[in-house]
Amino acid sequence: MFCALLGPNGAGKSTLFALMTRLFTSPQGRIEIAGHDMARSPRAALKRMGVVFQQPTLDLDLTVQRNLDYFSALHGLSGRTARSRIDEALDRLGMRDKASEIVRNLNGGHRRRLEIARCLCHRPKVLLLDEPTVGLDAATRQAITEHVHDLSRSDGLTVLWATHLTDEIRDGDQLLVLHHGRLLENGQTGELRGGVPLAQHFLSLTGETE
Amino acid sequence: MIPALIALRAIIAREALRFVGQRSRFVAALVRPLLWLIVFAAGFRAALGLSITPPYQTYTTYEVYIVPGLCGMILLFNGMQSSLSLVYDREMGSMRLLLTSPLPRWWLLFCRLLASTAISILQVYAFLAVTALYGIQFSAAGYVALLPALVIAGLMLGALGLALSSTIRQLENFAGVMNFVIFPMFFLSTALYPLWKMAESSELLHDICAVNPFTHAVELIRFALYAQFNGMALLWTTLTGLVLLALAIWGYDPARGMVRRKS
Amino acid sequence: MLRSLPLLSLLVLSEPAMAAEIWVTNEKDDTISVIDIASLEVVRTIPTGERPRGITFSKDFSRVYICASDSDTVQVMDPETGKILHDLPSGEDPEQFVLHPNDRHLYIANEDDAVTTVVDTETRSVIAQINVGIEPEGMAVSPDGKIAITTSETTNMAHWIDTETRQLFANTLVDSRPRHAEFTAGGSELWVSSEIGGTITVFDTGTQTEKGKIEFEVQGVHPDRVQPVGFEFTADEKTAFVALGPSNHVAVVNAETLEVEDYILVGRRVWHMAFSPDKSLLFTTNGVSGDVTVIDVAKREAIKSIKVGRFPWGAALRP
Repeated sequence: MFCALLGPNGAGKSTLFALMTRLFTSPQGRIEIAGHDMARSPRAALKRMGVVFQQPTLDLDLTVQRNLDYFSALHGLSGRTARSRIDEALDRLGMRDKASEIVRNLNGGHRRRLEIARCLCHRPKVLLLDEPTVGLDAATRQAITEHVHDLSRSDGLTVLWATHLTDEIRDGDQLLVLHHGRLLENGQTGELRGGVPLAQHFLSLTGETE
Repeated sequence: MIPALIALRAIIAREALRFVGQRSRFVAALVRPLLWLIVFAAGFRAALGLSITPPYQTYTTYEVYIVPGLCGMILLFNGMQSSLSLVYDREMGSMRLLLTSPLPRWWLLFCRLLASTAISILQVYAFLAVTALYGIQFSAAGYVALLPALVIAGLMLGALGLALSSTIRQLENFAGVMNFVIFPMFFLSTALYPLWKMAESSELLHDICAVNPFTHAVELIRFALYAQFNGMALLWTTLTGLVLLALAIWGYDPARGMVRRKS
Repeated sequence: MLRSLPLLSLLVLSEPAMAAEIWVTNEKDDTISVIDIASLEVVRTIPTGERPRGITFSKDFSRVYICASDSDTVQVMDPETGKILHDLPSGEDPEQFVLHPNDRHLYIANEDDAVTTVVDTETRSVIAQINVGIEPEGMAVSPDGKIAITTSETTNMAHWIDTETRQLFANTLVDSRPRHAEFTAGGSELWVSSEIGGTITVFDTGTQTEKGKIEFEVQGVHPDRVQPVGFEFTADEKTAFVALGPSNHVAVVNAETLEVEDYILVGRRVWHMAFSPDKSLLFTTNGVSGDVTVIDVAKREAIKSIKVGRFPWGAALRP
């Protein structure tokens, strides 16, 4: 399932991500990831979650392989298991040939793809991506958006994709519109926008309140 | 291997790789204490010798006296620098990566602490290798006994850095930490002058020095370098380390993080 | 390293049941501190006459002679009991003395009287007084017993005395304020230290002519403070250790090239010194800091300083 979290800058998307990844906790409300309550069993929840943060979190001076090794180890993977999972993840993002390159030498698109590959290493059930296409050119943006849509279809992964760009959202996606920390809409994109282009629909929802 | 140890190994390996990759950082870490040793000790040569205080058995020159203090300085600066990079990391992301691992948070913080301490210890030994070439040598037993002392002192000072980094949100404030934490801790300790020398100038100064945890870290190192054991210094350093570590873990508690963010 | 092992065990075996000691006179405390060489600790403190300085043992170590300067006497003590057996007539203000190889005659420098007094320790009587320069202090007798030396602090001379005739047969100028004189073991050289001059002058014994001069310079210490006083030779005679007074250092001198090879930091105002029986350790008396610094001779390193009485001055080995 691909779920798009759409909201203008400052809508509260990043705060929501911080809460969902347990960088912070809130005394109110409840967060459940793949059936695990974040407050009660946070480690089980984190284990089933792959995250791509808005800011890159790669070690630029290390190789692709080293970056993935490190991440896998943080999730308790080592040895042969880690190696095969890493290869598998690299294959899926078409990055296998880049394994021994220093991250600093990769372009923005490849770095993003590496981060997505990375968060697949521990075979999560849920993928959280916070504006993963920021700073990428149109073609790369298109390719990555397409790729993650594929992942959600072929692997039964639940994807939560935060963005403020309407062209990254397909009609079949579930759509959540967030504005000023409040949920304005929740439903299938195609149904919600009706005949109007999504961009226009989005503007009509969020524009007038500004 | 259990996941906790896999993570520990990876965190240490990452710090080591980053350290090896940043040769300038290594050189800088080595140059600072060497500058002190050569410039400062030469200026205050005390060729006539410093009075005998334990663990010294006889008169020492100033250069010999300040070596353990400079080892402590490496640990102190590294502990703080590592916490600086934590604050930086927190903004930039790699700390996020660490904290979203499905391992207990206190363990992750402890691993990080251990990793930065390991790097500090490498630097201390590199520094001691240079001082040995310069002519200030210690016994083999001293170099061996030093290791556990460095681990304890390094963890304590790293925990101090962690505790500070968990309470400091803005990077700008770190300059303040340098001014208000590192320098007073270093100067108001036995790193540069023995306690009796402090008592000569002011009783208050002596008392501050005597309770400064950095003093105890330095004395622990000093005694170890002479293959001797200082129980008092060990006790103080360990206790302070535990308190600071608890403070750091509390500071990185996600619930508290939210409260701080709101305010 | 391995070769020295049998030697070492031999030393251990041949060690007498009683441990070797270093006896140190404390000028201000009027005591002797006895340091046990094995434990490097003071094991006894023995009262003496006023202002004890020079100290030496009889050949069989059954008696110890002590210059009690302010009591104007040389005391004879039983080292076992620490009891004063009797006093010897010494002339006024005896500071340093030396025991003739005949184990019988003491040559004593009388600082205030400008004389050297020769005392028979058996008859306990003065057998000669020899006029020398002003403020005599350093005393030495050649190994063959034929020559005695007195150095005078104010005249700045080494006076050569024929022990047969008890007459001066030569006077040689040295640098300002000579304090200590010592023959090399073979007797071919005489070394005289000059405190103010800051040098040691080396003489050829046969011709009484100057062979060379040693100068000292301790980095970071004002030259005025570099004041050579007591000195001793290592077993192989290749090295001399020289106490440099208020510079708080002992110089290590190559006895062949007369070059200073090293300086060792010791306590404040180092006066005199004595070796352990195997000459592996050297004990220096540090007047102002009131302690004795132990030097590892092979490593040329100070290993420990032992608190003794106030103003330790002379040192002697009791094996």
